[in-house]
Amino acid sequence: MRTAVGIDTVKNATPVSGHPRGLRGYVSEPMTTRESSQITLSGRTGAGALAPPTDEQASAKRSLWTDLREQAVDLWAYRELLVQFTRRDIRIRYKQAAIGVIWAVLTPLIVVLSGWVLRLAFGRLSGEMPNDQMMAGVAVKSLGWAFFVGALAFGTASITGHLALITKTYFPRAILPIASVLTQLLDAAIGVAALAIALPFFGVELSWAMLWVVPLALLLVLFTTGVTLVASTANVFFRDAKYLVQIILSFGIFFTPVFFNADAFGATGARIAMLNPIAPLLEGLRLAIVQGHNLMQPLAGFADSLAWTPGYLIYAAVWAVTAFVGSLLLFHRTEFDFAEYV
Amino acid sequence: MAPSTGGGIGHVELAHVWKKFHYGEVHNRLRDFIPALVRRALGRPKRSDALWEGEFWALRDVSFELNPGDALGIIGPNGAGKSTILRLLTRILRPTHGTCSARGRIGALIEVAAGFHPDLTGRENIYLQGAIMGMRQREIAQKFDEIVAFSGIEWFLDTPVKRYSSGMHARLGFSIAAHVDPDVLIIDEVLAVGDAAFQRKAFDRVNELVQRDIPVIVVSHQLDAIATFCTEAILLEAGAISFRGSPRDCIAAYLQRTQTEATQLGSTAILLDRLTVEPNDHAVSGETAHATVHCAIRDGQAPGSEAVGIRVRAVDTGEVMFETTTNHFHEALPTTGAFSVACELQLNVRPGMYIVECFVWNSMAGHERGTGLTAHMRVSGGDQFVGPVHMRPRVRVVSAVPS
Repeated sequence: MRTAVGIDTVKNATPVSGHPRGLRGYVSEPMTTRESSQITLSGRTGAGALAPPTDEQASAKRSLWTDLREQAVDLWAYRELLVQFTRRDIRIRYKQAAIGVIWAVLTPLIVVLSGWVLRLAFGRLSGEMPNDQMMAGVAVKSLGWAFFVGALAFGTASITGHLALITKTYFPRAILPIASVLTQLLDAAIGVAALAIALPFFGVELSWAMLWVVPLALLLVLFTTGVTLVASTANVFFRDAKYLVQIILSFGIFFTPVFFNADAFGATGARIAMLNPIAPLLEGLRLAIVQGHNLMQPLAGFADSLAWTPGYLIYAAVWAVTAFVGSLLLFHRTEFDFAEYV
Repeated sequence: MAPSTGGGIGHVELAHVWKKFHYGEVHNRLRDFIPALVRRALGRPKRSDALWEGEFWALRDVSFELNPGDALGIIGPNGAGKSTILRLLTRILRPTHGTCSARGRIGALIEVAAGFHPDLTGRENIYLQGAIMGMRQREIAQKFDEIVAFSGIEWFLDTPVKRYSSGMHARLGFSIAAHVDPDVLIIDEVLAVGDAAFQRKAFDRVNELVQRDIPVIVVSHQLDAIATFCTEAILLEAGAISFRGSPRDCIAAYLQRTQTEATQLGSTAILLDRLTVEPNDHAVSGETAHATVHCAIRDGQAPGSEAVGIRVRAVDTGEVMFETTTNHFHEALPTTGAFSVACELQLNVRPGMYIVECFVWNSMAGHERGTGLTAHMRVSGGDQFVGPVHMRPRVRVVSAVPS
């Protein structure tokens, strides 16, 4: 127990010379009379040192594995905070918003409608009007794209938008961008429900291939999280990162097979289009849902092109996992500088 | 974040900690940044022992260790690195060199409302802020009523925090932070929250937390708080520990430093040589103390309209408690040579730390010619009264006389 400080022996304070500012320094005698456990006083007093020792242990190299484990343990320990932040973001998004939850459906719906308008225009030119299957395909891919774009848009500013929290409290910073992704995931889930109701009207039938949605959606979430983590980190250090992100958000859709199919470019073109890490995920979703195609089988596409091969799935999976793990690592390596740079 | 086990596991250690900061803008060019980022991602930070242009050491070789039951006070002027130490302990920053570890859940009475979102209600913010401070959902739910009752905002629980007054905001933040059940407690100037009634409640709560068997770190400019709560103290100057010892010795050393900086006297005929206060350490509220100023008249000058003054300030607030000069007592000063001014002071003040200052007063000019020496004085006792002034009461109980 602590006593209200007062009556104990005065310790002899002896002056030490050499204080860098010319002030007198003092070193107190080692303490001997104290009933509570001692505060260990080690190291130099008197403020003599002007430069740290050039020791190796301080700048010892940290292994990737240690960092990754540390990040995982920390995130797990703070999982309830992740839930709280996600909840908060969802609440804020729909608080004082005139049409509330309708936004969750409205945004992807606009994307779908613009896709349909575009397909109709192309159809008039080529003379081949889009059928129900094409329309359903555009809708499925639009939803996936809307999720990616939405998460990236909210996530990029998630660190810089929480200046007070970052500089004043500690928690694994990755929670903020991840919460943005989870918030967007809820919106996407509402969109999926709406889509599930709409698809039968486009002649889409239930099939076992639809189970492919689960791994594909998982990979899409991993990839989106990875990109969002990198974008939010970059945005801390230079604010032009958000302009770059803005470009991706506005024009990325033209370089991604959302409104069109990858095989529309022919054999070589399709392969190039599929280099985009999201392309195989979106195309895979379309084929599995709309065409009921088993993704373990290759599929011939327009002209001589290949609409699908299992290789695409592996390619996308490697991208998604690398992006996720790599970004967590990058994030962890830089997050301790956030408070100084934000 | 380990769940609290109710004390005993808390442990804090800083070992030869160095922390580097930058002046001004940093990394505004991609050219500098990308290589730095790549190096960091590869785990090869650049040699961090050298100082580049625009960098300085905010902390230099700071070491201390705290076990359960220890309470360390950190004092020092602004910019000495006090907050940097706290930010290292709360893991917001990492040391450039050395190691910094805090075991157990840290309860930080710092920036207690940092996580509040203005659009969320008080209820929602309690859960959010609690989670930021490391509490589990279940735990918050358990303590919810207690937190609300402590903050006294029951009526506004379902009002968005943006409509709160600043006092309500701070009170709610403090209430959440004060219910964390920490293994390590960190306190930074939070004792001035809300109105007088809440401040007393907050002080009692902090006192109760400090009495637990956990390591405590207190940073404050209210030296009284340091003296009350701590078992040890360090004085931090320009990022380095320049004194360690008991809180009282440390405060004395700190006050001595401030004194050396303040001894800039203008051209006065009176030379202030030495100031003593007796008793300076165990003065008792209501008793008398003797302050003696040893002075001399400078050769070839005359005191003229100059007088010697004495002033008493409270350390915690800096407020002037009392001030007088030889002039007020029509005491004439000698025209040459050394002399001393003896002043008897009735310490009708509440217990605490006080600074006694002496100065030269020019009654013609009507102003002070610079503050001279200072001495500190610790007043204890005073358990027979509450309030700022000792009114020297005489209390008798008179039994009713039947008529």
